[in-house]
Amino acid sequence: MIDSLLGLSVFLPIVTGFICLGIKNHKARGGIVFLTAVVLITSSIFLLRQGSFPIGYSPAPAWDWIILVLNYVILAYFLFMAIKDFAQRGISRHNVLTIALTLAAGIPLAIFEFSQAPHTPLEVVPTLYIDHLSVIMCLIISIIGSLIAVYAIRYMKDHEEHRMHLGELKETTQPRFFFFMLIFLGAMNGLVFANNLIWLAFFWEGTTLACYGLIRHDETPIAITNAFRALWMCLIGSVGFSLAIMFLWNSSLNTISLSAVIESGAPVLLLPIALLCLAGLTKAAQVPFQSWLLGAMVAPTPVSALLHSSTMVNAGVYLVLRIAPAFQGTHLSTLIAIYGGAVFLITAILAISQSEGKKVLAYSTIGNLGLIILCAGINTSLAIAVGIMLLIFHAISKGLLFLCAGAIEHHIWSRNIEDMEGAATKLPVLTGITITAMFSMLVAPFGVLITKWGAMEAATGIGVWSTLVLVLLMLGSGATTVFWAKWIGRFLCHSPMPGRAKREPFIPLYHGILLILIGCAVVFSVLIAAVYNGVIAPGLTEAGYNAASAFTTSTWFLKSSIGIFAAWPIFIIIALALLIPSLAVRAKPEESYASYMCGENVEIGTDEFVAVADERTQLKTGGFYIENMLGEGNLNRFVVPIGIVLLVILFVLVVI
Amino acid sequence: MSTGWLIGSAVIAVIVAPLVGGLLRGIDRKLTAHMQGRIGPPIIQPFYDVIKLLGKKPMVAGRAQLVFAYAFLALIVTAVVFFALRQDLLVVLFILFFGSLCLPLGALSVKSPYSQLGGHRELLQFLAYEPILLLAAIPIALKSGGFPIANIFEYGQPLLPDLWLTFVALFIALAIVMRKSPFDISGSEHAHQELVRGVITEYSGPYLALIEIGHWYEMVLLLSILGLFWVVGSLWWLSIIIALGSWFTMLIVDNVNARLTWSWMLKFAWGAGVTLVALNILFINLGWM
Repeated sequence: MIDSLLGLSVFLPIVTGFICLGIKNHKARGGIVFLTAVVLITSSIFLLRQGSFPIGYSPAPAWDWIILVLNYVILAYFLFMAIKDFAQRGISRHNVLTIALTLAAGIPLAIFEFSQAPHTPLEVVPTLYIDHLSVIMCLIISIIGSLIAVYAIRYMKDHEEHRMHLGELKETTQPRFFFFMLIFLGAMNGLVFANNLIWLAFFWEGTTLACYGLIRHDETPIAITNAFRALWMCLIGSVGFSLAIMFLWNSSLNTISLSAVIESGAPVLLLPIALLCLAGLTKAAQVPFQSWLLGAMVAPTPVSALLHSSTMVNAGVYLVLRIAPAFQGTHLSTLIAIYGGAVFLITAILAISQSEGKKVLAYSTIGNLGLIILCAGINTSLAIAVGIMLLIFHAISKGLLFLCAGAIEHHIWSRNIEDMEGAATKLPVLTGITITAMFSMLVAPFGVLITKWGAMEAATGIGVWSTLVLVLLMLGSGATTVFWAKWIGRFLCHSPMPGRAKREPFIPLYHGILLILIGCAVVFSVLIAAVYNGVIAPGLTEAGYNAASAFTTSTWFLKSSIGIFAAWPIFIIIALALLIPSLAVRAKPEESYASYMCGENVEIGTDEFVAVADERTQLKTGGFYIENMLGEGNLNRFVVPIGIVLLVILFVLVVI
Repeated sequence: MSTGWLIGSAVIAVIVAPLVGGLLRGIDRKLTAHMQGRIGPPIIQPFYDVIKLLGKKPMVAGRAQLVFAYAFLALIVTAVVFFALRQDLLVVLFILFFGSLCLPLGALSVKSPYSQLGGHRELLQFLAYEPILLLAAIPIALKSGGFPIANIFEYGQPLLPDLWLTFVALFIALAIVMRKSPFDISGSEHAHQELVRGVITEYSGPYLALIEIGHWYEMVLLLSILGLFWVVGSLWWLSIIIALGSWFTMLIVDNVNARLTWSWMLKFAWGAGVTLVALNILFINLGWM
């Protein structure tokens, strides 16, 4: 049973991905994507019901050879693309760094595999390791990821029609798009199950490949440049992987089994552990690597939803959470907590100045991943529980928000927040879902806020350094409120008008999928105690933490040793406080009025006023961006050096 | 304390808080008038005002505006209830924040120059005070052994001697929340306005009354949080003195200051307020306090 489920999760999407590559017919390809999604969702749920984790599984030895060869094939492809770019567009920082880093990742790995390892390929028992943490990731990838892929069927059709209309595109490139989307799902599932570090590195490379292919999908010069930036920054992580594998094999531990490294708990291994963390940080686009994720926003929006918010960047924090027991109680742990807090604050402030919706979402993603890193750094049972919860809730809400942004973009053909002014009156259903999704990132009683509460309490009283972590956390929390609230404000901003707005037509692949995801966000938030008991508590126990000292859940409240969150009563009260007025209150036409403009309004029902020389002038309003203070140009001068300095301190401390 | 007592105190809080809040507002207006050389309205004028507003014809810009007016009041009352039930202090604050956020959201939902300006500035006020209030919960929890407010009552000692730095920071936050000079940038009562009534410009009639009542609850809740600093032992009544003393000091500060810019407010709140609490946490973590 377990082998067929793993096969369905990892192998099937790769196979159907290749099938998509050959299908030009839109409907047939959509059918295959849909079927793959159904199978992935079903198999991930069956996997969860397997019960007795952890389970080890080793496929036939031939697979070790296949993985070994394919890993170099991918690296060779990177090299080829960089050299091709060099030939076509001349020398640039991006293609030179890609070539250098591909070699820096490939050569140590080759030296290790062909000369240091006692035999080639080096096997590890078990090759794959399945516990609750990896199953949580598998559920996120298989359910949210599949829904995003299904959404993309409609999105890409609209996207290409629009581009063909503009004359940017001659024939469809969708087969390539869905090829990368589906093989990505397979590679992600492989990544979370891999225990052999060589397998892990291969699947890691596979996600980098899909990321590169999908960012450059539209083949505009900016897309190609940004794809290369994402590639070389992620390759820094691959170099970290290769070096970590070498160090681990040549250390006293003499193993490349991830579970063995974590269980050993030997603090002498801090350097390879830090290298693995570095790989995680590059993948999660933490400062100073944030620019690749922002550049990746040029990709079609389902790509941003799938890779750059709900799954691939999560692989980075997944790895850090996974190896957290190995650095528990060390200086590395402390520094990682401070680093995560700094990223959370920096990105929240940078997000305030962004007027492009997707960039706000990107910064918020990096910030929330920083918060998970912070939790991993605090490294108590409570903190790890909170980190895993945030992983789940953030994946749901942020994947959803990107899909919302994409659907809105396909109605107004703009990504700029200012163009979304008054969207609530034109697209009431879509904006309603979007605003709810934003609330699910921002306010009590939704899951993301519960995890913020948990992180604050977890960081309390665990050492002198926790003062700094708390300050970073609280300031970041304040800035987060500002950028979400002002975006919500832009959606809602409209001239006084009577009655209800007319609903836009229901598009099943847009509205339907958004409704499923918002349903998940709501249900899981209400039943957070059940989510904790069902998957997180067993996961903590398997990782060697004490689930009882994180949360207890009597009467389905979340109760830690220092705090209590009455999850469902708060949810019911707040839902009533918002729902009763929004359902019961009606604005009668005769109660409508014109907004206050010092009595110079032209007439009720317009947003014009009488200006100089009795001229009718249209009222214009806009959002606050504080660009001159908080803009990227201003702050990045400090932000990137801060990130680099923090990482350097981290490594210097580890080596000492 | 038994569950019955707690529920009883929550009911009493919901009934008494607006009476106290309204009365304080009346005294505020009277004292302010005297400081400015005017006679001022009767002390129970705020109640007259609200009753009159409730009877007025509603004027609305759209449903969102109305929903946020109701939600503002409902969520702040919820926060008061959770406070009276002695729940987790951070949770109380988060519910309060959601309530407070409804005010700028309601303002931003109307295409009106003054309300947009006020709404955006209110978000900056939020940015200034939210970190202080959240951080202030930390030293309280560190001293009393946990975040539930019930712990403070069980702790058995007044918090103020060890937490006076936090207290000062909370006072700054209180002035920002209540939009008192020099922090009245998103809408104020004084006649030095370039933004009309700022964040509440577009509210009128019964909906303005809801917001006014919400403010009464909000003020009482925040003063109660200040009162937590001396709530135990034979001198428990000092908590009331402390709360009212802070309120009175705030009135004087309000009247002797001019309004300053938002960037100054942000620098002051983060520079002074956050630093004070952070030092307090640091000293506790070091065992000095």
